[in-house]
Amino acid sequence: MPKTLLFVVVPLLSYGFWLSDEFKGIAAGIAIFIFGMLSLEQGFKAFTGGMLERILQKTTDTIWKSLSFGIVSTTLMQSSTLVSIITISFLSAGLLDLAAGIGIIFGANLGSTTGAWLIAGLGLKVKISTYAMPMLVFGVLCSFQNDKQLKGIGYILTGLGFLFLGIHFMKESFETFENTVKLADYAMPGLKGLLIYTLIGIIATMIMQSSHATLVLIITALSVHQITYDNALALAIGSNIGTTFTAIIGSLSANVQGKRLAGAHLLFNLLTGIIALIFIREFIIAVDRIDAALGIAVTDNTLKLATFHSLFNLVGVAVMLPFMNHLVALLEKIFAEKRPNLFRPKYLNPSAIGFPETVAESVRLETIHLYDHGIHIILHAFGLRKRSLSDQSDLKQLIKQNNDLVEYDIDAGYEKRIKGIYSAIIAFIGQANSAWEMKQSPNLALLRDANRTLVEAIKDTKHLQKNWARSRTSKNQATIDEYKKIAYQIVSLIQQIEQFRREIAENELPLLSLDVLKAMIEDEDMRMNRSIDTLIRERKITPETGSSLINDSTYMYNIKKNLIKTAETLFVHDNANAIRIERQLTLNEAEIRGVVQAVDAQ
Amino acid sequence: MKKEKLLHKLQFFFDPARKRKKRHREELKKILRNLKKKERKITDKIEQADDECLKKLYQTELEIIRLQRKKGIDVLQQLRENKDSTD
Repeated sequence: MPKTLLFVVVPLLSYGFWLSDEFKGIAAGIAIFIFGMLSLEQGFKAFTGGMLERILQKTTDTIWKSLSFGIVSTTLMQSSTLVSIITISFLSAGLLDLAAGIGIIFGANLGSTTGAWLIAGLGLKVKISTYAMPMLVFGVLCSFQNDKQLKGIGYILTGLGFLFLGIHFMKESFETFENTVKLADYAMPGLKGLLIYTLIGIIATMIMQSSHATLVLIITALSVHQITYDNALALAIGSNIGTTFTAIIGSLSANVQGKRLAGAHLLFNLLTGIIALIFIREFIIAVDRIDAALGIAVTDNTLKLATFHSLFNLVGVAVMLPFMNHLVALLEKIFAEKRPNLFRPKYLNPSAIGFPETVAESVRLETIHLYDHGIHIILHAFGLRKRSLSDQSDLKQLIKQNNDLVEYDIDAGYEKRIKGIYSAIIAFIGQANSAWEMKQSPNLALLRDANRTLVEAIKDTKHLQKNWARSRTSKNQATIDEYKKIAYQIVSLIQQIEQFRREIAENELPLLSLDVLKAMIEDEDMRMNRSIDTLIRERKITPETGSSLINDSTYMYNIKKNLIKTAETLFVHDNANAIRIERQLTLNEAEIRGVVQAVDAQ
Repeated sequence: MKKEKLLHKLQFFFDPARKRKKRHREELKKILRNLKKKERKITDKIEQADDECLKKLYQTELEIIRLQRKKGIDVLQQLRENKDSTD
């Protein structure tokens, strides 16, 4: 809520509390209800622990699937806000396209109408405060537990308990309010009433920032005849429009994808509201017929309101769905994306903070982005391009050919391609780590390490580059050959990592297969040292050149080791359970060295 | 006896840690089977290879897989012992 609005609302509420105890009761009921929703949301966040994100990733490839996802998830969690936030974070991370995102938002709108059914059907017919008390007690007990899932259940139970308690407070206060003030006396029939009450619905939802809270208020007021049925319908339309206010405020700080989604939300709710206002008579007739078919009593206005709420949202979806592509095109035109800057972060979005798996996935994708830049720098340092790796050309030949290339400026490359993205990743991880859900995330720690090892590989390349460049003008063939060997071994490893990356889906034991590459590094290191010793002994190189070569072969060894470490974290990520077990079986450095020495001795 | 069995099953149903351990054992067995398959494939490759360098490369891979399998079997053994002690 904007601060300016707060300055108006607080004095108004205080005046209201001073005037009437019943008003105080209703306001407290709303506050408890909203607190319940927050607790419920918190509970689902802890409880799902990434499940929601996994389902979202797998079930949103068609528009119908995304629509169904929106409906089901919002119905189960009773929070379209949570679904909207996670959708924005997925969209920003590039894991979802705009059409799928809009589908989810449409579905979430439809799913949130089940709230009206629950309140009207269950909340008012059953004495729910009886259930609220035990729920609160058990909920608080569970939320004290250390187990994440039990804690989640605790938050959900507490949330439901507060929701029920809030409804109970509102109902009770409205009933006593009825004896003193008759709000129904202020009922306005006709078009004027329709428009004014729609406006009231919009303002009330903007203030409470929850259409659920407005709806529960409307339904409880309607149940005790404090407002008329016609005016309640207008209020429900208003609440539907007012709810987009939260999304718009949220999108102000979001990136262009978030803005597009908020735009879709606003357009949908506005258009649906206009349709409902224009065809209000037809809707009322349709609701009567549907309710008659469902066996709902003509006098049961609260359930009729729930039917109306579902019906006009359903009509909205039916009207908007055929124009989905146009809507996407329009939003992309209004919120045009600036030309993507290759050297800026692509996947990090603050809206993902709080959703552990989305955060980890965003950081992983961004680190891959960084890795590609890092590989660009390393290859350029040896006078090669990334396409040299893909066209099956002979690497040894390529390295031999580039004798007179201009030396690549690694420092400038680092400043341009690495520094900005690397700093953004580190800042993002730091920000995410302060959220309690992320505190124990081993993935983030590994990803931070992957970033560090990649940067170390680039820095070692810089150290190596000096002597490599000098060797190209050397008159000593043995020195030239040794440095070409160094370049070849690094580039060849990059090529093998690229192949590993391409074929990862078919690799049944990805992590364990990397041990073979690690062994190759050990073997090459052993041979390199042996070769340098021989060259010095046979006086083919001077001891000074030999010591430089030993230093540079150590740089090479570290570059290769760090690149494998980075690749291990970045590209082996599916099936977390199997990977955890594979990690137990991977060999440590001493074991790998032991194998290499044993085979060498044979 | 039947009651005892039922109680055992119920206990397992309400014990997420035991379920997790069971899943862990099954996943590990699957990995060990895959490693065995890989081991056989590489043994065949060694027999067919003429080039000494290539043979040495395969030999290293084979030794690595053998060591990974040995580690896996040890972990499985430990898990089984833990299971027996909790039962």
